[in-house]
Amino acid sequence: MIERRVHVVNRLGLHARAAAKLVRAAGAFPCAIRLERADGGASADAKSILSVLMLAAARGTELKVTADGKDEGRAVEAVCELIQSGFGED
Amino acid sequence: MGRRDRNGRRERVWRGVGVSDGAAVGRVLRVHGGAAGNVYRATLEEAEVRREIRRFHAAVRLSRRQLLAIKRRAEQLLGAEHAYIFDAHLLMLEDRKLIDDVEGHIRDERANAEWAVKVVTDKLLAVYAEIKDDYLRERSSDIEDVMRRLLVALAGDERAQRLTDDAILVADELLPSAVADLDFSRVRAVASDAGGWTSHAAIIARGLGIPAVVGLRDLFRHARTGDEIAVDAVTGEVTLRPSAETAARVRETAGRLRSTSSAADAATARDARAPARTTDGVEIVLRANVELPAEYEGVSRFGARGIGLFRSEFLYAQHGGAPGEDEQVAAYAELARVAGADGARVRLFDLGGDKLAPAAQEAERNPALGLRAIRLCLARGDMLRTQVRAVLRAAARGKLDLVLPMISDVSEVRAVRRVVEEERANLRREGTEAGDVGVGAMIEVPSAVLVADRLAREVDFFSLGTNDLVQYTLAVDRSNGEVADWFRTLHPAVLASISRTVAAAADANIPVVVCGEMAGTPAYAVVLLGLGARDLSMTATAIPRVRRALEGVDAAGATEIARECLQASGAGEAEEIVRARFAERWGALFPPKSLPAPKGEGYNFPEIGHTVSTSS
Repeated sequence: MIERRVHVVNRLGLHARAAAKLVRAAGAFPCAIRLERADGGASADAKSILSVLMLAAARGTELKVTADGKDEGRAVEAVCELIQSGFGED
Repeated sequence: MGRRDRNGRRERVWRGVGVSDGAAVGRVLRVHGGAAGNVYRATLEEAEVRREIRRFHAAVRLSRRQLLAIKRRAEQLLGAEHAYIFDAHLLMLEDRKLIDDVEGHIRDERANAEWAVKVVTDKLLAVYAEIKDDYLRERSSDIEDVMRRLLVALAGDERAQRLTDDAILVADELLPSAVADLDFSRVRAVASDAGGWTSHAAIIARGLGIPAVVGLRDLFRHARTGDEIAVDAVTGEVTLRPSAETAARVRETAGRLRSTSSAADAATARDARAPARTTDGVEIVLRANVELPAEYEGVSRFGARGIGLFRSEFLYAQHGGAPGEDEQVAAYAELARVAGADGARVRLFDLGGDKLAPAAQEAERNPALGLRAIRLCLARGDMLRTQVRAVLRAAARGKLDLVLPMISDVSEVRAVRRVVEEERANLRREGTEAGDVGVGAMIEVPSAVLVADRLAREVDFFSLGTNDLVQYTLAVDRSNGEVADWFRTLHPAVLASISRTVAAAADANIPVVVCGEMAGTPAYAVVLLGLGARDLSMTATAIPRVRRALEGVDAAGATEIARECLQASGAGEAEEIVRARFAERWGALFPPKSLPAPKGEGYNFPEIGHTVSTSS
């Protein structure tokens, strides 16, 4: 299992479009991927948009990204990269 | 008492915000809402459970097909930026959690699929209602939208709405999918309880030229499909079960607006680019501001003389970042084709501030004064060079100019000119064709106004951006409701800035085009005429009404009024001058509602209260 921490940087946070991008990216990996609020709040299955939206991760929120299974390293990297890049928006 | 319809029922009036001009009388078609409201609960036999789960899966598949079709349509009509939402809807529909929970509920509770869908999504919505972040909480409407779609699919209704020709859509909230679902060639108007200027409904209605009024609070609850309804987007008034008089009045407005636009169409037929001509023979060129592809069609329809301003940020947003060179070439070439002989003016990415900022950027303390617009272009040389190359290449296929946003000093103009020449040389070396491109400066910052005479020697034209000019001159954030009373378009300082810029351009013998909301508002357009502006660019749908205003006034009168406003002691006095003089001279053309409203109590600062007595 691999774990990394990352901050949400885009202005609107993990809103519908950003969440859609994240779920599409996570869905490309066979392993289980989870997101958890570093403040101990909700945690989510990164392959479920409803669950990701429920994190209510606004800008500045710190998230713990974990992956377990085949390709876990690349999966964590891809998800973190996407979040750090602000989903290419702002 | 009150007026009654022909069945003796009292008419009821709602007031909202007109977000897309026009008027229409027709019959209510309620969209959404109903299906989700009354879901029945049936208890299944054990043997029926598997069939019910299959029925649920069939509804998911049907919804999926609809969403894919809608997404494609929205992409064509509005661009990927507005279509993204349907990708989120697709993911929600296929969400393992949703599907598992619904299946589980059908199996465990032996409930019918409708009930299971409703219970599961209601639970999700309840969790959403707890979210602190406003923006994220509002996303619950997306879940509701998906739920409604599933319920409609379960009801076996394809919802290929058989619209009558006089349908007026009435919705609680016009959800994006409902908008994209409908055959809009048959919709006469749109009225919704929720929504604002920037809602999907407003953007689409404007793009298609359909009258729309939003913010009607509880119209949806009272309207029944088939009821007669009158919508006047000019006044923002919506009348349910209108009396004969009300219906006649709205029809007359509709007819007048239509004849204005058909007059414009007729003018278009005579001369595709006829300028507006005042009663004393002064000609004003009218151009279109364009952002979304849905607006392209209006450029010729409303008789615009080319595209006065293309907000290229749309390409950035659509692409989710700076688009590649070839992609931009294609977009600008298409733009030049739409604009025709008069060409299109492409504004460099005006990013930052209230719009999009680059990814890794830290939040700025003061984005309006931060690294934005031309500053960002110059800071990100690669992005600037790519955009310049794309415009140069596309200019080989049609007439295009470059507009530099937020210029505050001549050094910025020189820097971009250098890039243009370098990239032109690079293209030549590569054997790629490049066209001639003029370079213009947006004048929207006080410093640019004060050195306009010197800037004018270095550019081919000025573009006066009135929205930002008001914001920066008066130091008022236009998106902050707390200071809305300080946002005064007719403030003498704003008018003096415009006058000074127009004069500087005239001295240097370069054109100046005024783009911004001011140009698209008839009364303000006349003030601009009085300040010497002869070239206006606005949302294409505003052209007919601005043309009508300009053709009903004399430039000499407008000039006199503008001079008087320039001398006014403050914004309130200038507004009063416009109200009084317009009413005297052109009362029929400018009913009181079309003029800037007197500011309310706030402007007299009632909160200051009375002097506090120190002795008490």
